[in-house]
Amino acid sequence: MATDRSKRRAWTLGVVAVAILTVLALTGGVLSGLRSVANLAVTPFNWTVNEVARPLGHLFAGAINYSDVVSQNQKLRYELGQAELKSNENWPLERQLQQISTSLNVPYVGSLPTVAVQVTTLSPTNFAATVQISKGRDSGILVGMPVVANGGLVGSIVATTPHGATVRLITDVNSSVGVTFGDGKTSLVVSGRGVNNGMSATSVPLATPIAPGTSLATNGLNGGLYPPGLPVAKVAQVALTPGAATYNLTLRPSADLRQLQYLDVVLWEPTA
Amino acid sequence: MGANCVRRALVPAVVVTFLVLAVQLTVLSSLRIGGVVVMLVWLWPFAVGLTGYTSLALVTALVSGVFFDTHTTTPFGLTALVALVLAYAASRLGREGVGDLDSAAWWVTPVLAAVAGFFAPLLYVAAGTFALNFNLWRGSVLSMMIVNAVAFFLLARPMTRLARVVSNVGERVHR
Repeated sequence: MATDRSKRRAWTLGVVAVAILTVLALTGGVLSGLRSVANLAVTPFNWTVNEVARPLGHLFAGAINYSDVVSQNQKLRYELGQAELKSNENWPLERQLQQISTSLNVPYVGSLPTVAVQVTTLSPTNFAATVQISKGRDSGILVGMPVVANGGLVGSIVATTPHGATVRLITDVNSSVGVTFGDGKTSLVVSGRGVNNGMSATSVPLATPIAPGTSLATNGLNGGLYPPGLPVAKVAQVALTPGAATYNLTLRPSADLRQLQYLDVVLWEPTA
Repeated sequence: MGANCVRRALVPAVVVTFLVLAVQLTVLSSLRIGGVVVMLVWLWPFAVGLTGYTSLALVTALVSGVFFDTHTTTPFGLTALVALVLAYAASRLGREGVGDLDSAAWWVTPVLAAVAGFFAPLLYVAAGTFALNFNLWRGSVLSMMIVNAVAFFLLARPMTRLARVVSNVGERVHR
């Protein structure tokens, strides 16, 4: 009898759970509210665990990785110096490009305002390549805005709260970016392949003159999600199946997505 | 375990679930093994299930899954659904005494957890397909299955012990 009752209770709970999940999934508004409430409920626990775990983690990481950190710091200083030098050399060209872009009425990313943000949380799941950032709607960040860092496109904003936002990385399985290369006559769509798997482009016509090492940048087509000229990825491998009329590309993102600390949100809204 | 005992165990179970969730979100999300996040939010309801308390296991599964889902951009409810399935399956085993820490061989609980950890990502991808998200398989599903199986194997006994402590709270108060 007792077993029957508990079985019934278990089933009831299960059915109620599925019903609630379905209703919440169908009503996006409730879902957004639920996210905020859930964040509020979990925050004290996150804070407690963070306060305990972070010093311990830093202690172990510091003890083990100290020499690596020092050499990485030296390397970064060297790279920063090189980047500054390159920037100083390139500024006349950049100014010229900006002038031409303005006269042709084409958005130029160098002239677009940006908001610097800090990455607060990495994606907690294996199935989505996302990061949480420290600023949101109150700083003018809106859904769809591109995010850049580390020398290339990182992703785009997919959700915002007043003081935070979620960035979907270009390697996310649901991400796709329109790109071009070389003389800009050919456009491709590149898609994410998951958190650690880079990106790919499939069904590329054989006539397309592309080789490993080619840099791809956003094409900025009308109705596109990104302004033109943002570096997206480099071709790592060109795979041709015998007898096929197209080939597939394996791509490596231009931005180093493993080291995301600070990002720039480009205050640019996709055209309709 | 009577209804009153379950009710009394609910509060500690939910508190521990929130702590597990916090560890998942703050520690495990950055501590990736081979690029894979170990899904403690699935192991915890499974461990509670192995104690044989179905209602308690389902509640912990629902809480951990729903709250976890609110922190991701994947289809809402998928993690909760997988957690519910694991919790229910484990509770059926737990009711039969399979995986009991005292009476069964030491390896039974870890092996059961490893099997759960192995198939959970697959179940997630399959459920995602029903939710019309056909891209989830493009991630490294196999490495997720392997890493989670190994991690679940290693963490199964401590988590089940913790689950037993939590579920015994209700009984102790009742006595």
